[in-house]
Amino acid sequence: MKYAALIFKNLFRSKRRTLLTVVSIAVSLFIFSVLVSIPTVADQILGDSASSTRIATHNKAGLAYPVPIAYVQRIRTVPHVDAIVAESWFGGVYHEVSDQFPNLAVDPDQVDIMWSDWNISKESVDQFKKIRTACLIGVDTAKRFNLHVGQQIMLRGTLYPFNVTLDIVGTVSGKAPPSFLIFRRDYLEEAAGQPGFVDNIWVKVDRPENVASAIAAIDAGFANSSAETISESEATFLGNFMESYRTFFRMAELLGFIVVLTIGLVAANTAAMSIRERRNEIAVMRSIGFPSRTILSLLISESLLIGVTGGLIGCAAAYGLLKAFSLGNIVMGPFSLVRMPPSVLAGAIGISILIGFCSAIVPATSAVRRNIVDALRMVA
Amino acid sequence: METKYAIDFQHVRRLYKRDEFEVRALDDVTIQVPEGRFVAIMGPSGSGKTTILNLIAGIDHPTSGRVAVGGEEITGMKERELAGWRARHIGLVFQFYNLIPVLTAFENVELPLLLTSLSKTERRDHVEAALKAVGLADRSDHYPRQLSGGQEQRVAIARAIVTDPTIIVADEPTGDLDAKSAEEILNLLVDLNRQFHKTIVMVTHDPRAERYVDTVYRLDKGVLAGVETGKRGAPVEAAGAHA
Repeated sequence: MKYAALIFKNLFRSKRRTLLTVVSIAVSLFIFSVLVSIPTVADQILGDSASSTRIATHNKAGLAYPVPIAYVQRIRTVPHVDAIVAESWFGGVYHEVSDQFPNLAVDPDQVDIMWSDWNISKESVDQFKKIRTACLIGVDTAKRFNLHVGQQIMLRGTLYPFNVTLDIVGTVSGKAPPSFLIFRRDYLEEAAGQPGFVDNIWVKVDRPENVASAIAAIDAGFANSSAETISESEATFLGNFMESYRTFFRMAELLGFIVVLTIGLVAANTAAMSIRERRNEIAVMRSIGFPSRTILSLLISESLLIGVTGGLIGCAAAYGLLKAFSLGNIVMGPFSLVRMPPSVLAGAIGISILIGFCSAIVPATSAVRRNIVDALRMVA
Repeated sequence: METKYAIDFQHVRRLYKRDEFEVRALDDVTIQVPEGRFVAIMGPSGSGKTTILNLIAGIDHPTSGRVAVGGEEITGMKERELAGWRARHIGLVFQFYNLIPVLTAFENVELPLLLTSLSKTERRDHVEAALKAVGLADRSDHYPRQLSGGQEQRVAIARAIVTDPTIIVADEPTGDLDAKSAEEILNLLVDLNRQFHKTIVMVTHDPRAERYVDTVYRLDKGVLAGVETGKRGAPVEAAGAHA
């Protein structure tokens, strides 16, 4: 503690330089923390579905290819199946293209059994089953566009050459994607002219341990048919969607590390400049009797303080921003799920310590190893 | 009675390699300075004055020969050992003061005491005493930039004496000062020598310094060219190397 005053006085020797270095480290760690936290949205989504008993069955050739609606009856005969709901993607637009949110059509009969974790009220389920133009909307979409139960909503077709006008009969929440809208598939079928194909068939089994056997049975039933199926647990199904973002996630992480490395080099240069300016003082302190290791500790302490201060500010800013994302999740959609996990916080603080240490260790070691006579002569 | 020597140089040589050239900074120099003396080392540039000072202060090592300071041989000491020894026994005064600009006068003087186990209160007492001894008790919270050259040098002297060292080593202490300030500094050194019996070794070009010291050692091209009695001090006991 007796060296604290010396450390702080040297830190504020050049207030502007110290402040700019702290800010640059803070900015780099802010960017790093945000970018490295982005992949947590995938973890969040996959974590929620890990224990699900739902299976997604679709065309083996890809989601772009439908499967016959007749498959539903055959799947009903598979052991352990509790509920089946066929689904077709509508992908309509509400108002402007920028107002898009996920919307799809499902069979209404077992929607409450299939998605029992979506907190759909009994009254809403009854209305959904009763009214052909009924729809259920996610709470975020409702909040975003100020929609209420009882209102009508029109979606302009993009994949389909027609629009649909729907009556809001309830909301979905809980584990439901917060921006979803689901309406009845029979309404879509009628408008589309009864094509008899669906994009995906959701199957719910009785227990998680029966998921694998149900998957095998379903796909075996349609092997060698004109539309072979591939069935996946909900976790795997969602994980495959996340796979398309994986490159983006990796790039985000890589970019985060590059930013940190770049700023680390700048901080190292700043530390080297600062230590170089004080060569004479360092020589004077050594001639007074300060051991080299004490001076080394003082120099590294200064640099560590700068690094850790910048790191804490950057992490706090990143945490605050991601918190704001979650509060304003209406607009942020799935990215409202981005959180800063403790591992990222610890990693960012660790990096700030590393920046502080590494930027000073080389110039400080060089300064304290320099011959005292030569160092005194240099500036005298 | 055997004279106790504060500084005992025995056949000291110091050679430097500068690229392919070998520079003889000191060549077989033998000097013995009794305790409590105020001596000056004088000579033209390049004569080896500062080299002698650096060897006394333990911030340089002789190529050959023996150096003992305060009765302790420092020739074979390792760097870490020498740092601790310097902190206890040597007070250094530089030509250009070499105060830390971000520290106040008080904090500059306190710097050597940070290496001791003194409490904060004890350190404060020592610093105040040192600043009082150099006449700057009322400037303790001034930064070096707020002091005159003479005042800065007095702060540097306070820093040199605050640990009560065995020897004060001053390298051109008046080199950067006007005549009046230079005289004040020399008088201060004399006071320290008289009042506190500090052994003071001063390298200087200043011819006025002869009036303040006991003995003058003259160097020329690394060789001891002569030893003279200062205008102030006792006569030389024998011709040659000691006072």
